Amino acid sequence: MKVQTRIRRWPWVAIVLSLAVAFALSMISPKDDVQGELVRIMYLHVPAAWLAYVAFFITFVSSIAYLLTKNLRWDRIAAASAEIGVFFTGLTLVLGMIWGKSTWGVPWTWDARLTLTAIMFFVYLGYLALRRTTDDPIARASRAAVLGVLGAVQIPLVHFSVVWWRTLHQPPSIIRPDGPAIQEPLMIVTLVVGVVVFTVIYGALVVKRIELMHLEEQLAEIERSADRPVAGEAVVVPELGKKP
Amino acid sequence: MTEWGWVAFAYAVGYGSFALYAGSIVVRIRKTRQVIERAE
Repeated sequence: MKVQTRIRRWPWVAIVLSLAVAFALSMISPKDDVQGELVRIMYLHVPAAWLAYVAFFITFVSSIAYLLTKNLRWDRIAAASAEIGVFFTGLTLVLGMIWGKSTWGVPWTWDARLTLTAIMFFVYLGYLALRRTTDDPIARASRAAVLGVLGAVQIPLVHFSVVWWRTLHQPPSIIRPDGPAIQEPLMIVTLVVGVVVFTVIYGALVVKRIELMHLEEQLAEIERSADRPVAGEAVVVPELGKKP
Repeated sequence: MTEWGWVAFAYAVGYGSFALYAGSIVVRIRKTRQVIERAE
């Protein structure tokens, strides 16, 4: 196998290995006294939400970096990160609905955390739609960067909504002033490993998504150059019968 | 549905949708690379 092919494949190898570890731990972790086996949904729901926060934060930082430097590399990172963030926010919402239905009895309620997460999902979906409104890379990057910066306001709002408002959604389980709500060490380890694994997945996905963007830009450049007239083609045809 | 049923459903949705998303990136990379190679 070529070295280049091996390098290209490392993100996928990292993803598969990480997910296998996270899955094994979430299955051997003990059941909860209150929620029973349903607590296992937490090992997928919480890391997915964490990954969404990380992705939108990186979009925020990359958008600021683009606005300061005007380097399109930052725009690519912001775009890749936002797309991954939207996917994992959607997944967080769906997994939360499954968990809600099985524990609360309803998949959805207009609770502060749920509603703000849904709004964040649609705002970043709008970010992706905004990127498709123009083919001009500079205009696209500038417009998206502004929304990428403004959209980040929602990250602390979503995260602290369970502290600031009375909600049905449970408060933070591990990082809280009076210590972790979870007492079982293996459950804490499983949750922390899940968060680390999803962070690795985020890194690997960003690498692959940026690779795809580079290839798409390369293809667009080839298509543009195919449409361009060949050198010398644009010479004015002399009018016959007229003296120069 | 039993508790394990809900857990299995959640994991199928989680891992399944992730596999679809990651798979779509793989397919798009492969197809775009093939088009570039043909064009060059």
